[in-house]
Amino acid sequence: MADRKHHTSHEEHLREQRLMLDPMPRGKMNEMVMEAMHTTSWKFWLVFGLLAAIVAYALFYKWGVMILEGLGVAGVNRPSYWGIFLVNTVFWIGISHAGTFISAILRVFKAEFRRPFTRAAELMTTFGLVQAGFSIFMHMGRVWLSYWLMPIPNQRQLWPNFHSPLSWDLLAITTYLLSSTMYLFLPLIPDLAMARDRTPDGTWQKVFYRTLALGFRGTEGEWTHLRNALNIFAFAIIPVMFSVHTIVSWDFAMATRPGWSSTIFGPYFVIGALHSGMGAVVMVLAVVRGTMKNMKYFIRPEHFEAIGKLMLIISMAWAYFFFNDYIVQWYGGDKWTKELLHWHEAGPMGWMWFAMLIFNVAIPWATLWNKKWRSTPWLIFIVGMLINVGMWFERYIIVPISLTINRMPFTWRLYQPGIEVWLGIGTLAFFILLYMTASKLIPLIPVWEVQEGQMAHSLKKYGRETVVTVSELE
Amino acid sequence: MAEEKSILAVFSDIDPAADAIEQLRLLGVHDDCMNVISGIPVTEAMLGRPSQWTNVPRLALGGAAAGFLVGLFLAFITPNMYTISVGGQPFTPVPPAVIVLFEMTMLGMLISTFVGVFFDSLFPNYRPMHYVPEISDGKIAILIECLPPDEQKVRDVLKQLGAESVEEAEAQHL
Repeated sequence: MADRKHHTSHEEHLREQRLMLDPMPRGKMNEMVMEAMHTTSWKFWLVFGLLAAIVAYALFYKWGVMILEGLGVAGVNRPSYWGIFLVNTVFWIGISHAGTFISAILRVFKAEFRRPFTRAAELMTTFGLVQAGFSIFMHMGRVWLSYWLMPIPNQRQLWPNFHSPLSWDLLAITTYLLSSTMYLFLPLIPDLAMARDRTPDGTWQKVFYRTLALGFRGTEGEWTHLRNALNIFAFAIIPVMFSVHTIVSWDFAMATRPGWSSTIFGPYFVIGALHSGMGAVVMVLAVVRGTMKNMKYFIRPEHFEAIGKLMLIISMAWAYFFFNDYIVQWYGGDKWTKELLHWHEAGPMGWMWFAMLIFNVAIPWATLWNKKWRSTPWLIFIVGMLINVGMWFERYIIVPISLTINRMPFTWRLYQPGIEVWLGIGTLAFFILLYMTASKLIPLIPVWEVQEGQMAHSLKKYGRETVVTVSELE
Repeated sequence: MAEEKSILAVFSDIDPAADAIEQLRLLGVHDDCMNVISGIPVTEAMLGRPSQWTNVPRLALGGAAAGFLVGLFLAFITPNMYTISVGGQPFTPVPPAVIVLFEMTMLGMLISTFVGVFFDSLFPNYRPMHYVPEISDGKIAILIECLPPDEQKVRDVLKQLGAESVEEAEAQHL
């Protein structure tokens, strides 16, 4: 009798813990997701208004000032021509890697915990890339001539030089932005159809969902085409994701500069991108869970726990690549490289180098081994935030600080940022603003994927133990 | 020749829907005259239905080939269209071309995969269609085309097998 009670409570415990074992009728889940979209408090509008004001001032007004006055109002100057603009470009491209990692890699490996938050992560990819694009266009100065980068013959009858890493960047970022937007949209179609079906006629929302749902009904053919396309995307977008940050790293590594010319920069950048991306995902999930209605059912401590493990592994991998990059340069003994490494640690910005190591390695290692820490949303939110600060510092060290030391000591000058600080704040505010807008327009939870996962999961008794089993439905 | 009737039967679960499909087949309803509509991807094997044809993988392959050709144009043809010779540097080097070829191939493949879904599913389609909104709430519907003399038999089978509703399907704006 006591034994049976124990098993029942164990089963209940498993169901409480795991979304996949705690199914609800589909109609109820749809209702919860729609309610989460439509419930907005005054706090939402307050934050929204504040962010809109920041975007208007810090991003668009300040950018306008820079266009009128010229790049002189920015702090970029010899020898640090790539200041915060490029730091932010690399940072935002890094953030964008989380979506693909979670949605594509975890889909390929059939990691079931991914299901409720794939869309939340994919949105980060698209919106992160928008900010990266903004940062590049700002840095161009004469942004109205940006079409010169496109592979179309312009009035000078010149084509871009495709032997240049900057042209590779254009191709890679464009490919990634288009692919990730398409990959965001395809699995969204069934949920847009669900929103269409639950929205009353005669409203603008009905027109919006009807238009975007494209007439999707869920016929066998439609599902087959969609499933095939999602499989192709999941496999094909992974090398694209790797290529993007590798090519971004080649913007640096192809130059024979101290601190930059490194054969390991490609994977080092990719792992760094995943590090900041995963940190950003837990931050977003913690905020979504804490502020949006009904999200506690969909996003549970088990999800933070699983992402926390990935964060810990990625932190270890980042430390490995960082040390590999460091030791090879240090051992090489090149005069200017030694000077640069010393400058990183003992220069006026040395605090940033140590903070980078503390935030990216020491803190994740000290905290994420602990299950309680990993599963507590606000605690892991703090770790994710510190990792992102640490990764932003890493990019700052690689870009303007490393540019300070070169083979011509008479040009050495510490970078002092100008208007680009405002512009950076503007991109951050714009990212959050886009995310908040999207959370009210599209279902953040892929309900059909959650239901599919719940169908695949069950509890089975082996001897006296109740275990979770997963069937392969796909 | 009598005009075919469209019947929409709604089930709450996969099992009765799969049983109904089998029974309809025994009644002489051809697989081409049935279509299953669901709120989640239910595989053909679960329902005992023939495999669905899709052009998406072929279109993806075609798109990859087209992208590769665009990459070849960008990497090897455009440098010849406006020649700038830089001392000691090859005019059309292969290693940088690999990067351009890779990106354009992947872009071609992914765009054509995306377009392939539109092409195969006939999206966007805003015409009136046979549908009930309960489907997106988890119900499974079978849309059957049958001749008027068979209609009653089909309805009886569907009801016997636990259909929640069996109605004549009317095309409506979604």
